Amino acid sequence: MSSEQELQINPVVGDSIVHNNKVLTNLHSLTASLFGVSAGILGLESYYGFLFYIVFSIITTILFYTFQLAPGSLAEGRSVVDTSRYYRGALDIWTGGITNGLPGFILTWTLFYGLVRA
Amino acid sequence: MAQIPAQTLHRDPQLFYWILIPITIVMVLTGVLRHYASVLMTTTPKKADIKTIREQRALAHGANLRNNYHVLSRKAFETRRDFLIDGFESGAYLKNPQQKGQPPANPLSDPNAMEGMMGMMKNNMAMIIPNTLIMSWVNAFFSGYVIMKLPFPITIKFKSMLQAGVQTKDMDPRWMSSISWYFLCIFGLQFVYVFLLGSDNAASQIAQQMQAQQMPVGPMAPGQDPSKMFKAEAENLAVIEHYSVLDGVEERLLERIKV
Repeated sequence: MSSEQELQINPVVGDSIVHNNKVLTNLHSLTASLFGVSAGILGLESYYGFLFYIVFSIITTILFYTFQLAPGSLAEGRSVVDTSRYYRGALDIWTGGITNGLPGFILTWTLFYGLVRA
Repeated sequence: MAQIPAQTLHRDPQLFYWILIPITIVMVLTGVLRHYASVLMTTTPKKADIKTIREQRALAHGANLRNNYHVLSRKAFETRRDFLIDGFESGAYLKNPQQKGQPPANPLSDPNAMEGMMGMMKNNMAMIIPNTLIMSWVNAFFSGYVIMKLPFPITIKFKSMLQAGVQTKDMDPRWMSSISWYFLCIFGLQFVYVFLLGSDNAASQIAQQMQAQQMPVGPMAPGQDPSKMFKAEAENLAVIEHYSVLDGVEERLLERIKV
């Protein structure tokens, strides 16, 4: 069976993907600003700040994944790391949030670093 | 190698209250204002007369049939296809059939097309005017102050951008003036808008620019000859090789329940 036909039997609806991505983007842009606040208060500089951001945004995704996606996937008999039920690609969900939240992170990081330290 | 001591600057704490906070508040409020301005300025689409709507809908009908033919059985698909191709080729759905084959009217003289362009202009204006206003405001009132230090090092190239109006040669480029705080606000305030206005807001100009770039082209782009579009659609329909999703469904079902 060709993949095109498979997609027509189990269609992936564009609207739902857009909605899912929007929810994830909002989550990331809100949490990124909070990470910026904490990085600024901790007084992290240069690489440590960015590492902090990357690590914590991945943790956010993992939490989101274990609480929101994994139960549904397991109940359907899929494997644990199968994201195709909700998102088009696995890379989308794991790294998509990092670039979305970065400007907000830098803003609050700078602000709180400036307020607390400099 | 001797460690270069970090530059320290003693700044008046009043700088925060009189520069940082005003700029931030103004930026947030402009975003909110832009959101509500765009909500108010969205014009309800003008009522088109029945012939125009029929023309557009017939074309959309053809496109839908072309995209979703696999859910129909062969007979149903063929009936619909023949009916649509007949209509498309005879020009039964055209708005004014006697204009067939004539070159399309100049889009500038068509009042409907003008309206679409005006809407785009309004959107652009709503983005450009606040930006230039606030930037000149920041430049006029707050230039020449160093207010903050970036938490990460950047190269010397950024110095002219970040420290505009501060002519101090040896200063670390990490120190930033008020105009660079303004730039940070432009890019980073999205989360505030999400928090205040919900996710469907029109406050962020970055998001708006992205939207404008990927705006879908409507089924009836102005300046195209509808009769030609109908011809092309009829051709597309005619070449479809039909198959149904239900083809071979029995085998698939048996395969699934076979233990």
